[in-house]
Amino acid sequence: MKTRSFDFRDSLLSLLAITIALFFIFPLYWGFSTSLRNPLDTFTVTGVGLPWLNFSPTLNNWISQLEIVEMRNAVINSVVVSFSTSLLTLCLGVPAAYALARFRFKKISNKDLTVWFLSQRILPPVATVIPFYLTLQFLNLLDTRTGLILINTTFTLPFAVVIMRQAFVDLPVELEEACLMDGANYFTTFSKIALPLCAPALSATALIIFAFTWNELLFSLVISSKNAITIPMFISGSFESRGVQFWFLSVRTMIAMSIPILIALLAQRYIVRGLTLGAVKG
Amino acid sequence: MAEVKLRGVKKSFDEVEVIHGVDLEIKDREFVVFVGPSGCGKSTLLRMIAGLEDITAGEIYIGDTYVNDLHPADRGAAMVFQSYALYPHMSVRENIGFGLKLNKVPKAEIQRKVAEAAKILKIEELLDRRPAQLSGGQRQRVAIGRTIVREPSVFLFDEPLSNLDAALRVQMRMELEKLHANLKTTMIYVTHDQVEAMTMADRIFILNDGYVEQVGTPLELYRKPANIFVAGFIGSPKMNFLSVKVLQIEGQQITLQLPGEDQMQLQRENINFKVGDTLTLGIRPEHFELEQTQGYSLSATVDIIERLGNETYIYANDANDNLLTIVGDGELDVSNKEKLKIHFTTDHCHLFGRDDQSIQ
Repeated sequence: MKTRSFDFRDSLLSLLAITIALFFIFPLYWGFSTSLRNPLDTFTVTGVGLPWLNFSPTLNNWISQLEIVEMRNAVINSVVVSFSTSLLTLCLGVPAAYALARFRFKKISNKDLTVWFLSQRILPPVATVIPFYLTLQFLNLLDTRTGLILINTTFTLPFAVVIMRQAFVDLPVELEEACLMDGANYFTTFSKIALPLCAPALSATALIIFAFTWNELLFSLVISSKNAITIPMFISGSFESRGVQFWFLSVRTMIAMSIPILIALLAQRYIVRGLTLGAVKG
Repeated sequence: MAEVKLRGVKKSFDEVEVIHGVDLEIKDREFVVFVGPSGCGKSTLLRMIAGLEDITAGEIYIGDTYVNDLHPADRGAAMVFQSYALYPHMSVRENIGFGLKLNKVPKAEIQRKVAEAAKILKIEELLDRRPAQLSGGQRQRVAIGRTIVREPSVFLFDEPLSNLDAALRVQMRMELEKLHANLKTTMIYVTHDQVEAMTMADRIFILNDGYVEQVGTPLELYRKPANIFVAGFIGSPKMNFLSVKVLQIEGQQITLQLPGEDQMQLQRENINFKVGDTLTLGIRPEHFELEQTQGYSLSATVDIIERLGNETYIYANDANDNLLTIVGDGELDVSNKEKLKIHFTTDHCHLFGRDDQSIQ
């Protein structure tokens, strides 16, 4: 029989978890609630802003926002830039990470190379804004999605390399050796053994890169002016002479958040631990 | 089926040389065991034959093929790893057939070979499971199955039984011996366990610090160890070593001072020492007798008695306070702190010189 004190401890922990969850969910809820209100109701609702109870909900804000072409373009731009950046970063970063984890470089030690990759993230992004602007200007890529993809990739690449390197290092090397003995070359070993077994790390890395790129504001502000405006940039422009239009802002924020959340939910099942369980040892 | 030859093989990690020029020849269909303590280089040597480690110097031949620069898969060797190294994301069937699939063997052929291997190893009902759903012994079988289907000319085993419990280890040991008898293929087996080496090997290569100390059949190594290291490594419990002083040399007749008052005489041909030198006398615990009257004897005081049922281990201190091990029968009537006379004959004495080499 379970003791009462144990149950009490369990319920206390559950209560704590719920409190923490509420703390994080409440702003989301408030944003959603605001998006359903008439502009006049924005600051005047009582209670916790429950639709029907505290105000009469309306879809007007949503309809008017979805009708704006710039809004739709911003969503498309963000989706294209974030997906492409994730893909490009992984295509370049994962093989680099594998090489760093498994091969020994002679001229520069692997450790130094890894630190060098990491050092790219130490520099504050703002320090590189002007060089990047001039480079893109030279390449004729200002205000293009390609320009944004390239810049975001340079910023997310070190992250992908460092995370994935560790994932490959943690993989028992015997598995790959067994694969080599089975007749595979290094590429097959990488693609058939190492990569599938690192799927959780891979999807986590992809998700983080996606979120990072999705939320990136500084470079889009500097580089985009009309054609390559992204969602964060669009949201940051939600005020006019009369002040912040919270009703529109909340709709835009909800849309901006929905896509990464959807992707996170879809990717969740790949981010399971213990996939290598049973590979080695008895 | 192939013989394996190593010529002056060396291996260095950075500046440190761990294998110092090994020459060895393994005959076709031979079951050879590399044995030695941890860090002696036995696994490295095996991995060099497999192609998983670069060779710093020397040549390796499998059959008549010079394999130094060949990819691991092209050497005709298959390996069972200590950790089994089963692919966790594949079923047992896929694990066993993976090598064949990589080599573009037709599907029907793969199925036939996998079924055949599963039958030999009695894992037919496990084929659709994942490695995580198997016990240690079953995983071991799958790992062996993966090598069998490739029909290699050399099997390489890297401490394959060290993760199994004692009972299973004995069982798998016998099954590996049977497998060798059935497949009639060259097998190289690495272990640190001298019992595995003694029971399974046609020939044993004893390694220490990157050198081959001695090569021979299990009984040759047991009866005629070439040096103190081999003498101490082969046999369980370990051989007893006594420091003895040379009192007199008359032709081939040597008189030695045993611990305490006793002296003994031995015949040796190679007299490479002089009167006054201290040599090492080795006697195996099972060659000490408590009731015999002929031969020579030592006095010792019993310190610890371990009764195993079928035999008894007695640990006793000699006159110089050296701990001696004596193996007696299970019913042996002996008590703690008792003073014993331990008897032995010259037939069972091993004499080692100051260079640790055996004196014949």
